[in-house]
Amino acid sequence: MNTTLIAIIFVIVAPVLGGLIYGIERKIKARMQQRIGPPILQPFYDFFKLAQKRTFIVHSTHAFLGIMHFVSLWFALAVLIFGGDFILVIYLHLLSTALLIIAGYSTRSVFSHLGANRLAITALAYEPVLILIAVSLYMVTGSFNISSISTLEEPLIVKMPLAFVALLLVLPIKLKKSPFDIAEAHQEITGGAEIEYSGIFFEFLYTAKWLDYIFAYALVYLFVASNFFLAITVLILTFLFINALDNSTARVDYKQMLKFIFWTALPAALLNLLWVTL
Amino acid sequence: MNWLFYSLFLFPLLVSGLILLFPKRINQGLIIATALILSTISLYLYGSVKEAVSIQVPELVNFLVAGIDILLLLYFGYVAIKHRHLLVGILSILQLAGAIYVLTIAPHHSTAQFYIDRLSLMMFLLINIVSGVIAVFAIRYIDEENCSEYKKKFFLSVIMWFIGVMNMIVSADNLEYFFLFFELTTLASFLLIGFRNDETSVRNALNALWMNQIGGLAILGAIVYAIFTPEYEQLTFSGLLSNVSNTGLLLPFALLAVAALIKGAQMPFSSWLLGAMVAPTPVSALLHSSTMVKIAPFVILRISPAIKDTNVATVIMLLTGFVFLVAAISALSQDTFKRILAYSTISLLGLMCMLAAAGTETAIMAALMLVIFHGISKCMLFLNAGIIEHVYHYKQTSQMDRLGELGPFTALAVAIGFMSLLLPPFGGFIGKWFSIESIGSSLPTFKLTGALIIAAIAIGGAVMALLYFKVTGVLFSRSGEQEVIRFEKTHPLYQSSIYILLFLIIGGMLALPVLLPSFFAPIASTITQVSISSVFKGGSLYINNLSLPIIPMLIAFLVLPVTIILSLFIHFKGVDRVKEYTCGEKVDYRFSSLYFSTEKAMPFYIVVGGIFFVALVFVGGML
Repeated sequence: MNTTLIAIIFVIVAPVLGGLIYGIERKIKARMQQRIGPPILQPFYDFFKLAQKRTFIVHSTHAFLGIMHFVSLWFALAVLIFGGDFILVIYLHLLSTALLIIAGYSTRSVFSHLGANRLAITALAYEPVLILIAVSLYMVTGSFNISSISTLEEPLIVKMPLAFVALLLVLPIKLKKSPFDIAEAHQEITGGAEIEYSGIFFEFLYTAKWLDYIFAYALVYLFVASNFFLAITVLILTFLFINALDNSTARVDYKQMLKFIFWTALPAALLNLLWVTL
Repeated sequence: MNWLFYSLFLFPLLVSGLILLFPKRINQGLIIATALILSTISLYLYGSVKEAVSIQVPELVNFLVAGIDILLLLYFGYVAIKHRHLLVGILSILQLAGAIYVLTIAPHHSTAQFYIDRLSLMMFLLINIVSGVIAVFAIRYIDEENCSEYKKKFFLSVIMWFIGVMNMIVSADNLEYFFLFFELTTLASFLLIGFRNDETSVRNALNALWMNQIGGLAILGAIVYAIFTPEYEQLTFSGLLSNVSNTGLLLPFALLAVAALIKGAQMPFSSWLLGAMVAPTPVSALLHSSTMVKIAPFVILRISPAIKDTNVATVIMLLTGFVFLVAAISALSQDTFKRILAYSTISLLGLMCMLAAAGTETAIMAALMLVIFHGISKCMLFLNAGIIEHVYHYKQTSQMDRLGELGPFTALAVAIGFMSLLLPPFGGFIGKWFSIESIGSSLPTFKLTGALIIAAIAIGGAVMALLYFKVTGVLFSRSGEQEVIRFEKTHPLYQSSIYILLFLIIGGMLALPVLLPSFFAPIASTITQVSISSVFKGGSLYINNLSLPIIPMLIAFLVLPVTIILSLFIHFKGVDRVKEYTCGEKVDYRFSSLYFSTEKAMPFYIVVGGIFFVALVFVGGML
C-alpha cells in the first residue's frame, strides 16, 4: 500500500520535479560555459509568465493535440512509475509522440512540418533500442513488468552493462540534447513541432518536456534501482554526461544520427540480449 | 448441420452464376442479401459448432475435383499460349503432368475430405463478413468503372465464387482438394488482376499466375512425397499431422509452407501482390485483407504443431522476420497510397507467419489476433483508398493534404485504420505486443533465432511506425480553423461498408478483454492441443505467462481513438486565431515527407528471400 501511495505522489509531482531538473540543468550548463546562469526556479518563472501571455492558436485541432500530447505522456510515465509492462510503456510513449507528430503536420507551417518529420525519425532511432532493452530485462527477471526489477538482488547494470550503454547513447535523442537535438533544433528549425504553439497552449508542450526528463532518468534509474547510493551516483553522472555532451558537441543531421544509432546503440542492445540469452 | 457448411461452399457459387444472368438492379439486392446470409451462417456456425467436424463427400465429387483440376490446368496452358508466356506454359505442363501422375498413383481411401475445426470457423468469420463488405462496396465501385455491363457483372461474379472457394480452402483436409482450391484462388487472382485488360494488367496478372503456379507445384510435390512415404497413411492434413511424430519427415510440410509463403507474397515472391494494385480497388481489398494472402498464415497455423521447434520452423521464422523488416523499409520509398498499403501487408503477413511457425500458445494467439485485426483494418484502408481514388481523385499520399478538409470522414477513417495497426489499445497493437512478448518469453528455446527475430520485430515495427505517421500526418493537415465539421456524404453503399468496418475495429478493441479468453484462446488451444489458462487477477488478464493490464488499456482508449475523433470536433472559444507564424518567414508551404530510396535494395532482398526459400526446402528434405 505504501509503495502505491509513493508512486501516486511521485506521478503527481513529476512535472514539478522535471521542471526542477530543467532548472538545475540550465544552471549546470551555464557553469560549464563559465556563465552564472539563471536561477534554478527560472523554468517556473517562465511557466507563470507564459500563462499571462495572450494566446494565439492556428486551429483547435492543433491546439487540442498539443494538450493530449502532454496528457498521454503523463499517462505513459504513470504506467512506468507504477511498474507496468515495459513494452506497453514504450508504445504508450510512442502514442504520445504520435499525437505531437500529427499536431506538427496539421499546420501549414514549414518548420512545424519539418519538426514532425524529424520527430518521427527520432522515434525510429530510439524505439528499437528500448524494445531490445525490455526483452533483455525479461531474460534477466523473467517478467516484462518493470516492477519485477525489485526482485533482483544485484542492480540491473551489472547484468546488462551493454544495454545501459545503449540507453546512454539514445538518451540525448529523447532529451533533445545535442548532438541529437534534430527534432527541436532551435537555430535551424526554431523548435520544430512546437513552433506554432503559444501562451497557455504552449505551456502543455513546455511541461511535457519536463515529463520527458523524468521519463528518461526513470529509465536510467531502472538499471540501478536496488542500491540507493549507486542510484544517486549513476543518475548524477548520467546527468553530467548528458549536459557535458550537450555543451561540447554540434548537431548532426538525421542521417548521421540514424547511422550512428544503428551502428552503435542497436548492436550494443542486441549483443546484450544475446549475452543474457545464450 | 452439414448442409450449412455446404451452403457456405456452394451458395456463393450459385449466386456467382445468377449474377451473370440477372439484370443490374436485382444483382445489387442479391449481393447484399448473400453477404448478409453468409455472415449470419458463419456467425451461427461459430456459435454452435463446438467439436471439430469431418465431412465425407460422395465418391462422385472426387471425380469432379479431378476433372476440374485437369480443365483448370488446361486453361492455364491456354493462357500461356494466348499471351505467349513461356514460364506459365512450362509451369502449366509440369503441373498438369504432376496432377495426372498424382491422380493415377494416389491410393483411394475412403476418408473425410473436409475437416472443420475452430480455426476454420474463425476463417469463415473473417472471409464471409469482411469479404461480404467488400462485395457490397464493389457493387457501386465497379459501376463507376468504365467498361461494359457484362464485364461489371463478371467482376462481381468472380468475387462471389472466390469467396466460396476461400470457404472451401480453409476447410479442406484432403490434399488433392486443397490443391484444387489453391489453384482456383490463383485463377481468381489472375482474372481479377487482369480485369482492366490493358498491358500492365495483363503483365501483372501473368506474373501473379506463374508465381502462384510454383506454389501449386510445391503442393503437388508434397502430395507425391507423402504418397511414397507409407507411414503417412492418408493424403490429408490431419493424416500428415498425426503421423509426423512416427516418421519425422518434414519435407511435405516444408513444401506446403513454400506454397503458403508464396500466396503470402513473401520475398522473392512479393511482386505479384504489389502488381495486384492495377486492378479495381475492391480486388486489392479482397486479396490483401480477408482472402488470398490469409491462406499463408492459415496453412502455417495448420501445420505449426508438426514443424514447431524444428529447423523448418527456424528457417520460416528467419525468412519471415527478414521480410517483415525489409518490406517495411521498402515501403518508406513509396508515395502511392496503395503501394504503401501493399508493402505493409507483405510485412505484416511475415509477422503472422513467423508467429505461426514459432508455435507457442501465446505466439499462435498473437498470430490469430493479427489475422483478424489486420484483415479488418487493411480492408477498411483499401476501401478508403478506393473512395479517395474515385471521389477525390488522389493516388499519391503527398497530394492528399487537402483531404482532411474535403473529406473529413474519409481522412478520419484512414487515420484510425493506420493507428489500429500500430498503437495501443487497438487489436493490431495487442497482436504486435503479444508477438514481442511471446517470442521474448520463448527466447530460452529459440536462442539466437529468437534474438534476431526480436530485433527484426523491434526495428521493423519502428520503421512501420514512421511510415504510418507520415501518411496519417497528411490527413490532419488543414489550413486553419474549421467552424463546423461536416462529414461528407459519399454513396450509401460506400458509407455503410466503411461504417461496418469502423464498428468492427472499435468494437473489436473494446471487446478484447472478452475476446482474448473466450475467442482467441480456444482457437489457439485447438491448434496447439494445449489448453491455455486465462484468468483475471488484480485488474489484469493473465494469458499463460503474459499479462494484459485492463485499466491502462481503458485509459489508452480515451487517449487515442477518442482524442483523434474529438480533435476534429473540438472548438476552443475565446482564443484568437492567427495564421501560421513560421518564424516570420515567407515560404511556400507544400506538404512533403521523407522518402528514402530503399527500392534500390530490392534485388538484394529478392536474392536473400530466394536463398531462404531454397534453404526451407533443403532443410525439410534433410529430415
